[in-house]
Amino acid sequence: MRIIKAVAAIAALIFMAACSEQVPVAPAGAAVTPGSVADFRQNVGDRVYFDTDMSNIREDGRATLGKQAEWLKKYTNYAITIEGHCDERGTREYNLALGERRANAVRQYLVAQGIPAARIKTISYGKERPEVVGSDEAAWARNRVGVTTLQ
Amino acid sequence: MNKRFDMMLPRRRTIIGGVALAAAGAAAPARAQLTIDMTKPSFEPVPIAIVDFAGDKVGADIAGVIRNDLQSSGLFRTIPPSAFIQRDINPNAPPRFADWRGIGAAGVVVGQVTQAGGNIKVDFRLWDVVVGNQAAGLSFNSQPANWRRLAHIIADAIYKRVTGEEGYFDTRVAYVSETGPLNQRVKRIAIMDQDGANNRYLTDGRTIAITPRFSPTLQEIVYMAYGEDRSTPPRVYLQNVESNRRELLGNFPGMSFAPRFSPDGTKVAMSLAQDGRTNIYEMDVRGRGLRRLTNTSAIDTSPSYSNDGTQIVFNSDRGGTQQLYIMSASGGAEKRISFGDGRYATPVWSPRGDYIAFTKITGGSFGIGVMRIDGSGERLLANGFLVEGPTWAPNGRVLMYFRQQPNSGGRAGSVTLSAVDITGRFERQVPTQTDASDPAWSPLIPQ
Amino acid sequence: MKMLPSRLLVLIALALPSAAAAQRSDPVYVEDRLNQLQQAITLLTGQIEQLQYRNQQLQQQMEKMQTDYDFRLEQLEKGRPGGAARPPAAPAVPAAPSSPPPQAMAHPPAGAAAAAGGDQLYHDAFKLLQDGDYAGAEKGFKAFVQRNPQHVLAGNAQYWLGETYYARRDYQNAMAAFAEGFKVYKASPKGPDNLLKLGITLAALGRKSDACSVFARFNQDYPRATDLQKRRIDQERQKNGCG
Repeated sequence: MRIIKAVAAIAALIFMAACSEQVPVAPAGAAVTPGSVADFRQNVGDRVYFDTDMSNIREDGRATLGKQAEWLKKYTNYAITIEGHCDERGTREYNLALGERRANAVRQYLVAQGIPAARIKTISYGKERPEVVGSDEAAWARNRVGVTTLQ
Repeated sequence: MNKRFDMMLPRRRTIIGGVALAAAGAAAPARAQLTIDMTKPSFEPVPIAIVDFAGDKVGADIAGVIRNDLQSSGLFRTIPPSAFIQRDINPNAPPRFADWRGIGAAGVVVGQVTQAGGNIKVDFRLWDVVVGNQAAGLSFNSQPANWRRLAHIIADAIYKRVTGEEGYFDTRVAYVSETGPLNQRVKRIAIMDQDGANNRYLTDGRTIAITPRFSPTLQEIVYMAYGEDRSTPPRVYLQNVESNRRELLGNFPGMSFAPRFSPDGTKVAMSLAQDGRTNIYEMDVRGRGLRRLTNTSAIDTSPSYSNDGTQIVFNSDRGGTQQLYIMSASGGAEKRISFGDGRYATPVWSPRGDYIAFTKITGGSFGIGVMRIDGSGERLLANGFLVEGPTWAPNGRVLMYFRQQPNSGGRAGSVTLSAVDITGRFERQVPTQTDASDPAWSPLIPQ
Repeated sequence: MKMLPSRLLVLIALALPSAAAAQRSDPVYVEDRLNQLQQAITLLTGQIEQLQYRNQQLQQQMEKMQTDYDFRLEQLEKGRPGGAARPPAAPAVPAAPSSPPPQAMAHPPAGAAAAAGGDQLYHDAFKLLQDGDYAGAEKGFKAFVQRNPQHVLAGNAQYWLGETYYARRDYQNAMAAFAEGFKVYKASPKGPDNLLKLGITLAALGRKSDACSVFARFNQDYPRATDLQKRRIDQERQKNGCG
């Protein structure tokens, strides 16, 4: 258990480093309404990252999804759609399927944590909607992502 | 037949003056021939002169389209008109062969346009300068607006006479037009003539639409598009090219994508994804019955029917990485055919049935290649940072695909269409109005 | 195949720490297990595909080699050195059944070669056989067997003696030589080839039922024969309609 915690902590650090430039962080002191979408994004984290060509949830992702599940159990008024994304280093159609597989991996993890399956939809964007425009490993790593969106 | 494409061509091959006119000139000296064997390991492009067609101002435009077609194939070298010696050419009489030999031409194309009761009549002759006789001669009748198609048909006739292969200039290409920044890219289905002319958009760009494919009659296109609502999965649509009327091809709970027509047009193979599994299904276009063709918990996608419709090649990652598999068109008898290094994707069966083209990803680069049906004889024809999605010209001799440059400085790298002949010798960019991806080459336009 | 289970174990073992830490009843644990199994199946599928492919490649190579050997032997039996010519793409129906001994044809058995005095005689006879001088080879092999009946190459010489007759379609003498080989040198490295050829010769003489009973002994007498030899036996049994 200790090892896992350490891994999760390191992973979380990496995760935060990777996200620090991207996610708009509210100015210090400006509190977001608990239970709002902004709260979910900022204080829980709405995305998990994947290794090249993989769709298994990494340790850092497990930590994030655990928090997501807790939050979603508390605020049950949201419908959930998981978006699956891929980097540009695959073919278009395969990446559509891979994005679906990733979104589904996130969904299954949340369901296993007790979120009702009926609450969660999935959609794949393959490599059609990259978040980061770039052709290097840093950009690709950020584009291999599962994003939990709330409606 | 829809009106826009209807040519009212009485017949494609109406040979004028059945008899070749008197052969002038003595035995030819050893020089370029008016034939070419594309299968040889090396060849020189055939030098050919195309004289502006006489009789109407559209004659010069027709000659220009023919020049562009032939030059673009890589098999011809068109001699610029400024080099011509004989200027007083009579479209109905043999040219002065010595004048054409003098500028190194192996063939001369002459023609004329005449008005015929609201239609235009276009005659052309191909003269073999080396032998000194007429090698081809045809006559066509059509509405004036169709002059470009007439030019393509003439270019096809010349191509066929010289190479022995069917031409492919009288064809269209469907593709994905891409505009805007990468993270909110507008992707629309467009069609154009094979040379980039007559570009038209089939979707409005409000949602992402990709992977277009022609029906065998060119009347319809199947493609995948996202819904307006962000939580609706992408689905496959069938759209009439003429009326733009479109219909959903099956309303499935999960994503449906990667549609392909069977060669007889009665079926569409496509992938359905659900619960992280992607399998290939076949839909009967008329009755809309759905039949499952593969059953894995992996990803099976990018199906392509064999030219005779009895088999399907597709890619699957059931063995850990994307590889190519062949199965019966009714499902079953699945057999892996790719065993080289790297990942294989987007297999496309040649209209001739002799090769399968594919995208190959090895290390950090992408390639476009061909292999025989049994997986042997793999050859790469193009490569780069990202080349993807080959499509065959109807004669099975040329491949078109798309090429993306790396993104840099937060800007999207350009995405363009390219074509290469199956020897891999001659690669060229295909002109498009916008960035373009996912080309699909049509069959020859029915007449 | 040996590496498969071990790699699998590593895969599962690697995944275990996190799984073991969780409660067995935890749905996340079940989900993980399923994913691990899925990955293992995928890995195995890929490896089976690779193995099947390699197996098929090897089989094709073997068949090509067999065709090649058959062709070369046939050429030899016709009195022409076959080394230079290319074999036909598909095995043409041979005029006379040909023999399978692969390596021995081009090179006499290496392990046995270093032995004593009679070696030169054997090699000379073999050279004559290769050159198509069957009468000369016959004399040489006969002399070798008479003088060195206990030599490690004696069984080989007896076999090749039979081949010198067989190549000239002297099936009576060929049969006698192969039968002698079977009786005296059954355990020789050439034993399986000798038995095969005895059967083929009997068949050539029209004694099909005798041929079949000879073929029938093969598996029992030579359980460790090569697949190629076993396949030849099966072919011959089929050809002669053995039950």
